[in-house]
Amino acid sequence: MTRIKRGYIARRRRTKLRLFASSFRGAHSRLTRTMTQQRIRALVSAHRDRGKRKRDFRRLWITRINAVIHETGVFYSYNRFIHNLYKKQLLLNRKILAQIALLNRSCLYTISNEIKK
Amino acid sequence: MALLCSSSTVILPSSSVKPSGSDRRSPFLGLSLTAISNPSVRVGINGNAKRGLQVKCEAEQATTSLVPANQRWMFDEEEANGPDIWNTTWYPKASDHVNTDKPWFVVDATDKILGRLASTIANHIRGKNLASYTPSVDMGAFVIVVNAEKVAVSGKKRNQKLYRRHSGRPGGMTVETFDQLQQRIPERIIEHAVRGMLPKGRLGRALFNHLKVYKGPEHPHEAQKPLDLPIRDKRIQLQK
Repeated sequence: MTRIKRGYIARRRRTKLRLFASSFRGAHSRLTRTMTQQRIRALVSAHRDRGKRKRDFRRLWITRINAVIHETGVFYSYNRFIHNLYKKQLLLNRKILAQIALLNRSCLYTISNEIKK
Repeated sequence: MALLCSSSTVILPSSSVKPSGSDRRSPFLGLSLTAISNPSVRVGINGNAKRGLQVKCEAEQATTSLVPANQRWMFDEEEANGPDIWNTTWYPKASDHVNTDKPWFVVDATDKILGRLASTIANHIRGKNLASYTPSVDMGAFVIVVNAEKVAVSGKKRNQKLYRRHSGRPGGMTVETFDQLQQRIPERIIEHAVRGMLPKGRLGRALFNHLKVYKGPEHPHEAQKPLDLPIRDKRIQLQK
């Protein structure tokens, strides 16, 4: 068997890896072996958190709506508000409700008063 | 890969496509000709055949707005042309949580139940009563507690509730009851209670510094003009 060098194959692959890991901290952007591991971890986190992102934002919207609704009445809370929304068949989702609560507070008060009746 | 923006110049290799929408032959490189037949796109075929696909975006995109024409009456002018504030969840900018602009609250702890008081305080410090609540940012207010030595607990907790701490060395655990600690350092009782209710972490430790507890009825923060802390819990006052 004649001697065969592998040439530039590995180097081309590792340059792409280096570009991906170029913003990592310390050895994670300098050493090849750690870069491969950290790239895998980064991609795993990204994959998992794409699902989590949807959950996290819904939690945030619910907390924000809850905060504003509590100030509306004495024994009034997010769960009663949503129940009233569903009873009146109002299709606003929590994202828009949270944005309304922030940007146009009086509009949210109007909505909640209308639903309570 | 090819990118198309609504007003752009697309330069293709000369061996392919004829200019806008003139024929519907097979798409080149996966681009359908309907996409290129947009009247604002100019197709230039020149001698740079070997450079392949190039896209240049022109700076004419400022006039497009996210609001469709038949809904523009609902918006003020600066909102209609600006970035989309309704579909992207609001995140605070640095100017939204400057410490000097945050409200200050004062609570008198005389005869208030310890846990219920700590819970309300922690909610206000964390900012959970605000519509602008963000878990990663300190949006809460400052809270001052006065008369800390008069805080009350129900049942037999005054003699039976234990506060433990450990120095780290073997045999270094110290145990004190509630009233012993109240004789020694009364502020620590309320601080311990509130710290347990704030998040643990860097942000939680920073939030804890927004709590100011004092022994007597006086506090040195008159210059901050603190308001009275609004308490919604009806059972917070000790029933005698």
